[in-house]
Amino acid sequence: MVKAYTQEHIYKHPWERVTSASWRKFSDPENKRTLSHILEVDTLNCNLDSQSGKLYTTRALTVHAPGPWFIRKIIGQDICHCVESTVVDAQSRSMQLKTRNVSLKKFIEVEEKIRYDPHPDNPTGWTICRQETSISIKPLSALASMAEKVEQKCAERFMQNSTKGREVMERICKYLEAESSGISI
Amino acid sequence: MRIINREKKSSPPLSTSPCAHLRAAYHTCFNRWYSEEFVKGHWDKKGCVSEWQKYRACLSEHLDDKHLSRFLEAECLVDSFIQAISRKYKSWDLGHNLHGTSISTFRREKVF
Repeated sequence: MVKAYTQEHIYKHPWERVTSASWRKFSDPENKRTLSHILEVDTLNCNLDSQSGKLYTTRALTVHAPGPWFIRKIIGQDICHCVESTVVDAQSRSMQLKTRNVSLKKFIEVEEKIRYDPHPDNPTGWTICRQETSISIKPLSALASMAEKVEQKCAERFMQNSTKGREVMERICKYLEAESSGISI
Repeated sequence: MRIINREKKSSPPLSTSPCAHLRAAYHTCFNRWYSEEFVKGHWDKKGCVSEWQKYRACLSEHLDDKHLSRFLEAECLVDSFIQAISRKYKSWDLGHNLHGTSISTFRREKVF
């Protein structure tokens, strides 16, 4: 039982700005209220390949994921730990993020892949974001009988959160745009 | 488990990490380096080295009382994370901890 979703979004901002915003999304304190499900973000590893211009980063995300009461009852907690690995290729201008949960894996596995590339129609001005989410409830888990419903709920929550994420991204892009043109907001 | 449920009713803390200041300093520096150096073609030198070292040292030190120790309970970890941890804690028996021992259960209750 796996549910997979894809989403696409076009940012009318250059790739450099959008990927900068992506880094700031969870770490800028002013976004804490909107993205309140992200409790903590820690960088575990950051390596730069100075020959090829590739940046490899691993971050730990602590996510608050409250579900219906019966899920909390079964799982016993509503905090989930995820690991996010990112590769940025500055030469070819691509950013790829892969996030998956490392806790609660007995019950659920979520994998989210995001790619930011220059938009083919306007490579210097626009950025295309492709997002792929797959959610899988473990068949052996106590949740199996209601897995379908749980997957649906999870998917809805993911959609809500990715909409919020996009709003935050757009806001940071605007801020960075203003900053780069010397206007203070 | 009872402790966990009770604690969850209060709103989640913004940041309880003892490394929060060093983390913020590193992230601010990194964000600046990324947008002002890295994407502009200056990728020959890694920025924020001293900020990273301080933050990293704090993380390793507090790994035990911080939620990060919970990662050790996970069955499947990112290689780089395991490497990073084992470099710092050579004496740790990672394989043992990976499958959840009574020690990790105790830690969980202490943390939450």
